Amino acid sequence: MKILVCIKPVPDPESLITIDDSQNWIATPNHYKMNRFDESALEEALLIRDKYKSVSIDVLSAGSENSKDVIRRALGMGADAGIHIVFDADGYISPFLTASCIAYCIKENFYDLIFAGAMSEDYMQGQVGLLSAEMAGLPCVSFVVKQEISNDKKNIYVERELDGGLIESFELKLPALFTIQGGINKPRYPSLSNMLRANKAEIKTINSDLIGKTDPKQITLRMTIPEKRREGYVLSGSVKEKAAELLRILSKKAFIN
Amino acid sequence: MAEMHKPGHKLIFIIAEHSENRAKSVVFELAACADKIKKFCPAEIKVIILSQETEKLSYEITRTTGLDTIAIEINELALYNSEIYKTVINNLAAEYLPSFIIIGHTPRGLDFASGLAVRMNAACITGVEGLSEAGGEICFMRQMFYGKINVHIAASSEPLIITVQPGTFEPYKPDNVSPGRVETRKVQCVTEAIRAKGIRRYKFQDSSIFEAKVIVSAGNGIGEMENLDLINRFADIFPGSAVGGSRILVDRGWLEYRQQIGLTGAVVAPELYIACGISGASQHLAGMKKSGFVVAINRDPKAAIFNESDICVVEDLNKFIPTFIEEYEKREME
Repeated sequence: MKILVCIKPVPDPESLITIDDSQNWIATPNHYKMNRFDESALEEALLIRDKYKSVSIDVLSAGSENSKDVIRRALGMGADAGIHIVFDADGYISPFLTASCIAYCIKENFYDLIFAGAMSEDYMQGQVGLLSAEMAGLPCVSFVVKQEISNDKKNIYVERELDGGLIESFELKLPALFTIQGGINKPRYPSLSNMLRANKAEIKTINSDLIGKTDPKQITLRMTIPEKRREGYVLSGSVKEKAAELLRILSKKAFIN
Repeated sequence: MAEMHKPGHKLIFIIAEHSENRAKSVVFELAACADKIKKFCPAEIKVIILSQETEKLSYEITRTTGLDTIAIEINELALYNSEIYKTVINNLAAEYLPSFIIIGHTPRGLDFASGLAVRMNAACITGVEGLSEAGGEICFMRQMFYGKINVHIAASSEPLIITVQPGTFEPYKPDNVSPGRVETRKVQCVTEAIRAKGIRRYKFQDSSIFEAKVIVSAGNGIGEMENLDLINRFADIFPGSAVGGSRILVDRGWLEYRQQIGLTGAVVAPELYIACGISGASQHLAGMKKSGFVVAINRDPKAAIFNESDICVVEDLNKFIPTFIEEYEKREME
């Protein structure tokens, strides 16, 4: 059984994000990490391999050079092989373009099962996985919180999350694609032996120009800092002064007795 | 052949999300979004309902909004099925040629929106939180990077599918409307690709978070699970308080689902909301922005939560909260 997991580097959620001089993209962040939804997607694939033998896991990342770091981390977590679809420049890539590259790889390599994160922490579009499935002609289910492969490995049962604590369940024939919701599992840390192997492993690279032929279908016009919707009075002084002032404000408003 | 829309007018489809034969509240927000698009370009709006049974839904939607509906009755749609949604809406679009299809940015809406776009060769922009017009072109605003940045996007081709973040628009419920027309049709749609098995409740909410006067809420910025202790001690200072948090802490198992504030958790409006280490992505803001008074504590001065705050405390909460508790206790002693 061949599984593909799509992964993406994202700027650290706690890091400073600023708009660059073009007003159309962000200044290069200092630090990237693997999108946490993708970590869950990979962990889910690893759990399948722990349970069934003869399962191989490829990871794929489309982007600039920093994609290689998350591919190596994924290999360190236990993936078997990495594919890097190379985009030359940093900057916004239309989900349609990324998806067309992924769909190409899906069709080329005959995967039985494809996992992607439910969304990326940076763009938060929730599109790439689902676009890829449709472009590759596969059925898909999003926001999956549970999966179970049948013993003959031909079918899969999944549960997906709706709002308000509801879930709905589906059965599909493989091959199919699923986007994985956060919290479905606890992603493992890379092991030292795997990391050593990962650092030496050859990552297959494909130039995106050769395979991503789709119209991007959208143009980013500009970026702005969100407007303040409330007063946003910023407390000043030392930690102690700020604490005393907040205490005064909240007492005056009778939130504290 | 479908009845064509007026010459020079664009057509907008709204896909109605529903549950237990009632329209979800987001449908009326999507109608408000369509109404706003109409201000930028002459357009007709049709609400599309897909269900096994549509009469009650059509009645509710046409009476509330005055908009026309196309109600498609599909026997095979006892339970939601994305394949049926994609197939049926794609066929309907081929017949009516809408310029815009508006869908809720909800787990349901997102499940079929992107795939539908590929089938229709349409553009697709998700998580829309605003729209504007410049030079005859409609521009859509959505958030990126945990809400720290807004990006303004235009589609480079029509048709365009957008998913609209719930809570973005006030529900469109005009006074004294005359009910819209209903066109009902029956369609057969058998699919083998996905078999729906059922729907059930697996996480439970209780009323405590909704009834709290004060909510002290924790996010990723608290760092370690042990620091929840600090959040609990902080909350103890406020009478009628409850502890909540953002989704990521619930995903990690640090908080329970009933404590989750945000679109997929609880939408709350306490008198005081204190956000501790919360970045302020729109999913979370939608769950708390109706709060009376908002205090945010975050060491990142650019955190989006500060845009939704009355008082901003730019500090490491692990230093600030113990100091606050100390100051409080000192005052109590006096």
